[in-house]
Amino acid sequence: MTEIQSLTLTEEQQALRDIARTFLADRLGPDVVRELMAGEVGFDPAHWAEVAGMGWQAMVVPEEHGGAGYGWTELAVLFEEAGRAIAPLPLLSTAMGTAVLLSSGTDAQRAEHLPAIAAGERRVAVAVDVPGADAQPAPTLRDGRLDGRVRHVVEGAAADLVVVATPDAAVLVDPAADGVEVTAMEVLDLTRPQAELSFDAVVVDDDAHLAGSPAEVVDRARTVGATLVANEQVGTAAAVHEMAVEYARTRTQFGRAIGSFQAIKHLLADDLVALEAARSVAWHAARALAADDADEIAVATPMAASLCNEVAAKLAADTIQVHGGIGFTWEHDAHLYFKRASSSRLLFGTPKAWRARLADTLGL
Amino acid sequence: MKVIVPVKRVPDTAGDKVIDADTKTMDRDAGETVLCPVNEFAIEEAVKLKEATGAEVTVLLIGPDGAQSTIRKALSYGLDGAIQVTDDAISGSDALGTARVIAAALADVEFDVVIFGNQSTDARTSLVPAAVAELLDLPSLTYARFMEIDGDAITVHREHEEGWDVVESTLPAVVSVVEAINEPRYPNFKGIMAAKSKPLDVKSLADLGVDAAAVGAGDAAATMYAFEPRPPKAAGTIVTDDGSGSAADDLADWMEEQKFI
Repeated sequence: MTEIQSLTLTEEQQALRDIARTFLADRLGPDVVRELMAGEVGFDPAHWAEVAGMGWQAMVVPEEHGGAGYGWTELAVLFEEAGRAIAPLPLLSTAMGTAVLLSSGTDAQRAEHLPAIAAGERRVAVAVDVPGADAQPAPTLRDGRLDGRVRHVVEGAAADLVVVATPDAAVLVDPAADGVEVTAMEVLDLTRPQAELSFDAVVVDDDAHLAGSPAEVVDRARTVGATLVANEQVGTAAAVHEMAVEYARTRTQFGRAIGSFQAIKHLLADDLVALEAARSVAWHAARALAADDADEIAVATPMAASLCNEVAAKLAADTIQVHGGIGFTWEHDAHLYFKRASSSRLLFGTPKAWRARLADTLGL
Repeated sequence: MKVIVPVKRVPDTAGDKVIDADTKTMDRDAGETVLCPVNEFAIEEAVKLKEATGAEVTVLLIGPDGAQSTIRKALSYGLDGAIQVTDDAISGSDALGTARVIAAALADVEFDVVIFGNQSTDARTSLVPAAVAELLDLPSLTYARFMEIDGDAITVHREHEEGWDVVESTLPAVVSVVEAINEPRYPNFKGIMAAKSKPLDVKSLADLGVDAAAVGAGDAAATMYAFEPRPPKAAGTIVTDDGSGSAADDLADWMEEQKFI
């Protein structure tokens, strides 16, 4: 455990943010996002290779495994930018998978997979269902055979390696292995595909068993996922808010900019306040993760997951409201952001569930 | 191989530029400043040389302390070190004065090739690379849209209005590149994190043995006497159709007046 960093960006983090923003604007503008979301896997491997060249996948991988050896705060900066661009890149699954390998992988598994992940040559997903009423029973592992299915695997179709948690063990599975079927699911947010993975007597060798317990693996994946999504949602919320403010400045009604009307002006001012609170909480959660401070993570992650998701969903809805009729059209980007914000909000449990978890932690 | 890439801090290309009414020079503190975008093409060529031959690449910048963020941006592409020449007396130098300072800085260091951007996005004179080559008595290979180094031979394709010339020379040489030469990569994360730890050699005019009277606004061959902001766009003529049929005549008259018909 190290000391939690301050809430300002270092010069390097600012440089990282600026370059990420420039890259995403240059390469993954709205037209590209729309083109990619209509495709099978939802991203372009050329973009993946390019971000690998910039070291995005290597960021939290230790130097001994070919990574940059930096922390989750830098990755959080990147996720905020990815959220701003609703970037169609399987960054979330890969970050979660990397986190699981780091915390629960064996030395041999780390040595085998982390360098390839860092180089952008392997993508890893974590097969955990979205928590909730229709969650399916976890797959089972008997006599070295994996059976069952997992739905809503984030970016599952893009992965070359999948972490699967069964009640008895967490294991690594090659999605190309015999008996594994990967089916793209129809989801609300087309910019972040999900897949159903089914396993029919898939052979799992002993060396594919992770060292950590299934509960640890699932918890780590969800904690890291929820923290990064919270930062991503801040970027998404910032993007829609800028969109709404710009429109309110230029769109006129009754001879004046609509931003001059109190109903719009106050709404956008309140939204900015909410956005700033969300950003502080999201950064704090990332810093708690970087400091590996378990007590603080137990408080900061639920706070971020509950607040940032709600703020992003609200600001995305308000943006459509501010835009009026045009905001409801397919051609306008507002709905892409709305769907991203609404869908991400539920990925790791509802804000209500996170608040309940926080209340438990605090003994309320 | 040793490569020098001179870079410049310029006002954000997308932002408004402000000229100080008293000094009649660019107010560099009025807005965001960035590494000159044309320099990115020169850096990319240098990085390619680094990858291909293990070249050692040094950034050279003339500017005040505040310009160090520009140096770090340049270093974040994975370059090896930087030289900064900083001296109040340099302020207001024209292209020739700037070239004198760069030439003096280069006289002190070993290099095989100097790679400039062909022009900066603020002044856009395109004079400095050729002036530096002349002052150092080195071959000047400007407007390169392609460059290749083989041993101590260099070949560039020099772009001009009708195509390009193939120009060959020996090293050391001074090159300036145009934007068609490559597609600059984005700095990677390791490069960003390492930029601060790269050696930075800060020098004054006295260190370089340059007479302060030979540079700066006072000695500039070019003098700015007056400047004016671009006038706002004049409003167009609106021909209103009031239903009486006269609009067509008005429109025809206007077109005749403008000599469209």
